[in-house]
Amino acid sequence: MSYKWNHVASLQRPEIKLESLKEDIKEYFKISGWEKKLQNAVYSELSVFPSPSHPAAPPEHLKEPLVYMRKAQGSWEKRILKSLNSMCTELSIPLARKRPVGEQKELLNKWNEMGTDEPDLSLFRPVYAPKDFLEVLINLRNPNYENGDSLSFRTHLGLIQVPLKVKDIPELKEFFVELGLTTGQLGIDDSTQVPPELFENEHVRIGQKVLAEQDSAAAQQYIRQGSPTALRAELWALILNISSQPEDILYYEQLKTNVIQHDLLVDSLIYKDVKLTASNDDYYFVFEDYLYQVLLCFSRDTSVLGHFAYNSASPPKSYIRGKLGLEEYAVFYPPNGVIPFHGFSMYVAPLCFLYHEPSKLYQIFREMYVRFFFRLHSISSHPSGIVSLCLLFETLLQTYLPQLFYHLREIGAQPLRISFKWMVRAFSGYLATDQLLLLWDRILGYNSLEILAVLAAAVFAFRAVNLMEVTSLAAAEAVLADLSTLKVMPLLQIFLFATVT
Amino acid sequence: MSRVSVPCHVKGTVALQVGDVRTSQGRPGVLVIDVTFPSVAPFELQEIMFKNYYTAFLSIRVRQHTSMHTPAKWVTCLRDYCLMPDPHSEEGAQEYVSLFKHQSPSMTFPKWLSHPVPCEQPVPLLEGLPDPSRVSSEVQQMWALTEMIRASHTSTRIGRFDVDGCYDLNLLSYT
Repeated sequence: MSYKWNHVASLQRPEIKLESLKEDIKEYFKISGWEKKLQNAVYSELSVFPSPSHPAAPPEHLKEPLVYMRKAQGSWEKRILKSLNSMCTELSIPLARKRPVGEQKELLNKWNEMGTDEPDLSLFRPVYAPKDFLEVLINLRNPNYENGDSLSFRTHLGLIQVPLKVKDIPELKEFFVELGLTTGQLGIDDSTQVPPELFENEHVRIGQKVLAEQDSAAAQQYIRQGSPTALRAELWALILNISSQPEDILYYEQLKTNVIQHDLLVDSLIYKDVKLTASNDDYYFVFEDYLYQVLLCFSRDTSVLGHFAYNSASPPKSYIRGKLGLEEYAVFYPPNGVIPFHGFSMYVAPLCFLYHEPSKLYQIFREMYVRFFFRLHSISSHPSGIVSLCLLFETLLQTYLPQLFYHLREIGAQPLRISFKWMVRAFSGYLATDQLLLLWDRILGYNSLEILAVLAAAVFAFRAVNLMEVTSLAAAEAVLADLSTLKVMPLLQIFLFATVT
Repeated sequence: MSRVSVPCHVKGTVALQVGDVRTSQGRPGVLVIDVTFPSVAPFELQEIMFKNYYTAFLSIRVRQHTSMHTPAKWVTCLRDYCLMPDPHSEEGAQEYVSLFKHQSPSMTFPKWLSHPVPCEQPVPLLEGLPDPSRVSSEVQQMWALTEMIRASHTSTRIGRFDVDGCYDLNLLSYT
C-alpha cells in the first residue's frame, strides 16, 4: 500500500484538540473517501490471506497443513526442476543471460508486435502438460488412510484417493444461494426473450450505484448475479482492489525494462505456449502481442513471491554462475518463482477483452493469479485447490449421476480424465468468451474456484444421454470436445437447483 | 504473570481393547497417552498445546493429590472434545491445538478439572482498556512518523532479482 499522507497536513491546525482527535480523524477519513479505500484494502487482505492460525504453527503449515501433501508438492517440483535443467543442458541454453545492447534495442523497437517474431521454438517443449500433473494427483496417498490394495467399500471409485472434505449438493445450494431459481441472473434473465424491465435494467442500475460507492465488498456480493458487460472491467478492478496509480504504471515500466535487459529461458516457454494455444484460438489470437507483454513482465515480478506464503508451492532457486552454494548469490528463478506450463497463457487471454491498457491488464492478471489461478496447478488440501476440485467433481458425479459414472468407468473413460483440463484452465479456451466471463464473475463473487467443479459435473449431466451410448474413452472425449455452444448459468442452475435426485 | 512450559514426560500410546480379542480387523479406535510431570512443584495449568495427527475426539483425565490423607483421585476435565468435525476427511487432522484453562480467574487447578470444558474453545481473557496518557504519547509518535513519510518521496519497491546487476544462471538448484 502506498497511500499519500499529504492530506494529513490539513489536520495540523491549532484548533485540533487531542480529546476530539480520534473522532476528527474518523470524520476526515469518511469525507475524503479514505475510509472506503482502507475498508477495500482490508477486505482485499481478508479475501486473500488465510485466517490467522495457531501461534505455534510454522510457516510451512500455513502453506499446507498436511505433511503428505507438502511432500508430494516437493517431489513434483523437483521433477519440474529436473525437466527444466535437462532442457538447459540438452539445448546448451542458459537459464538467464544479459542481452547484448543491440539485442536490447531490437526488442524495445518491436515491443508492441512481438507476435510477428517467429523464433525457432521446435527444440523447446513445455515443462509439463495438465495430464502429467493429473497422474501425480492420482497417485496421492494419505499414509494414515488405509485403502487396501483390493477394491473395498473404503476405496474411492474415482481417480482421486485422498479423503478431503468436499461440499455436497445441499451445502453447495447454500453456498451458491444467489444462483437459485428465484434470483435474477445475468446469463439467464437477460436473454432476448425476457423483458429487461423484469431484472436486467434494475441490475444494471444497482451495478452503477455499487461502482459509484467504490465498495469492494458490495461489488463482490453484487457480481454473484453476474456483471453487465459495460461494468465488468471496473467491477473486477474494484473487487480485486486494483486502481492504476502512477506508481503502478511505473512499476510495470520497470518490469518491461527487466525484460529488455535479461533474456530468460522461460521466455521461450512462454512464446511456445502462446503460439500453441492462444494464437490458435479464434477468440484470442488477436491478443497475442498483449499476452507476451503481460507474461514476460510477470516472470520478472518479484512481488509475486509474496504469495508463496500461502501457496503450497515454493519458488525454484538458483545461484549466480560460478557462485554455487554461496547464499549471498542465491536467487529465485524465474524472478517471480512461477514456471509456466502448457496452457498457462490462457489465464491471461480472456482478460484482454476487458483491459486494453497494458499496465492495468497486467495488474488484474497478477492479482487473479495470486488469488485464484495458482491453486489450479499446485498440490494442496485447500477447498479451492485442484485436488479438492477434482474430488468434488467426481463425488458430485458419483452421487447424482451414478449410472453415468459407472458406465464411463466400465468403458475405461474415468470422467476426471476428460474434465481435468477444463478445471486446470478455469474453462478458458473451452467456453465461448461471454460465457467464460460470466463464470469468472462468480469465481470473484464467491471467492472460490469450486464453481469450476460444479460446472464440470453439470456439463456431464447435460450430455448424459449421449455419454451413456459411447463405448470408449475416445468416443466420450468426442461427445465433450466442443463446449463452445454451452450456456453456463442455466447448466449450473439446473444442476444445483432443479435436478431431481 | 509470565508463563513457562512445564517439563513433562509423554509415554507411548496404549490401545484400549475389549477383552483379549486381537484380530487385524478389530483395530481399536481408542488410544491412551500417559503424561507425567516428574519432580515438579504444584503449578497452575494454563494451556495444553499439541499437534494433532488424525485424532477425532480427545478426553483428558487428571489424577491429582489433594492432601496427605485422602487418596489421589482421577477426574475428567475434558470429554470427547472434537478435533476433527468429520473423522473420515482431512479436516483438523494435522492442526495445532491449544486447550485453555477456563476463563474465570477465581478457578484454581482442581476446580477447573472437576468442571468438564464444553466443546467450544474458551476465549482467552480480554485485556483491559489502555492508559490514556500512553495513547496520547503513541499518537504523538504517529504524528512524527507521518511527518517523516510526508518528507520522503513515495518509492514503491522495484524489487531487484539480480545480484549487483548480474543474473547469469546456469542450472536450477534442488535443495
